[in-house]
Amino acid sequence: MNGEEELQAVRASKTDPEAFTPLYNAYHGTIFRFIQRRSRDQELSADLTQQTFLKALMALPRYEPRGLPFRAWLYRIALNELRMHWRRRKEVLIDLSYTQIAGISDELGLVYDEDDMRRLATAMGKLDEERAHLINLRYMDGMSFAEIGQVIGVAEDAAKMRVHRTLHTLRTYLVPRA
Amino acid sequence: MKHRYRISPQGQGPEPTDNELARYRDSGKLLHNYQRARSLMHRKPLYKDPKAFMALLLIVLLAWFISEVVDKRDAPQDPSPPTIVEP
Repeated sequence: MNGEEELQAVRASKTDPEAFTPLYNAYHGTIFRFIQRRSRDQELSADLTQQTFLKALMALPRYEPRGLPFRAWLYRIALNELRMHWRRRKEVLIDLSYTQIAGISDELGLVYDEDDMRRLATAMGKLDEERAHLINLRYMDGMSFAEIGQVIGVAEDAAKMRVHRTLHTLRTYLVPRA
Repeated sequence: MKHRYRISPQGQGPEPTDNELARYRDSGKLLHNYQRARSLMHRKPLYKDPKAFMALLLIVLLAWFISEVVDKRDAPQDPSPPTIVEP
């Protein structure tokens, strides 16, 4: 679905909910995988994905594109749904593969051995929720700074600066190699 | 709420395939849930319906009347005036 088709579908869906189906079909997989990476449970991901699209459809009459892709708005709703789901939990466990942390390992000059990966996991676990979200969006979801900005509601430069500050914090959290 | 990370070569395994996701994709259910949510949102509150308001008022008055009757019935009787005994 290209940008113009997407915009037309969004406009049509504001008055006719049936017109939302192409948008739902186009982004269902993307949002499902985004949630699944954090929830580690397929059934729960399915429920939260459905809830995300329902909230989007309900809020669509108030949605203003402002040149941002529709997908970014969906990511933001999905993240809120996850936060709502997690609100009574003290801790969330996220499983990451070596591929997913390739970017961050390179940035921090780590090697792919058990010791360095444990140091990285411990350091990432010390980040507060907002910083953890930034790292997840950048390295787990592979988003550009522009996309991160759209999801968290800041400009691209601000998103870039926040990610770099978080990386700096992460470096200070890394315990020396044993 | 803290994020705890576990890093392993395979992570949480492969992501679901498009075929697996198709099992969960149901635009009919989404539209049904949307219609239901909309109808709940626009439902008139009970107290704004004149008939329901009168019924609620009647129930409240009846409950108040019963409580008054029960209170009066259970109230202790006035004790008889004390008798004065002449020395």
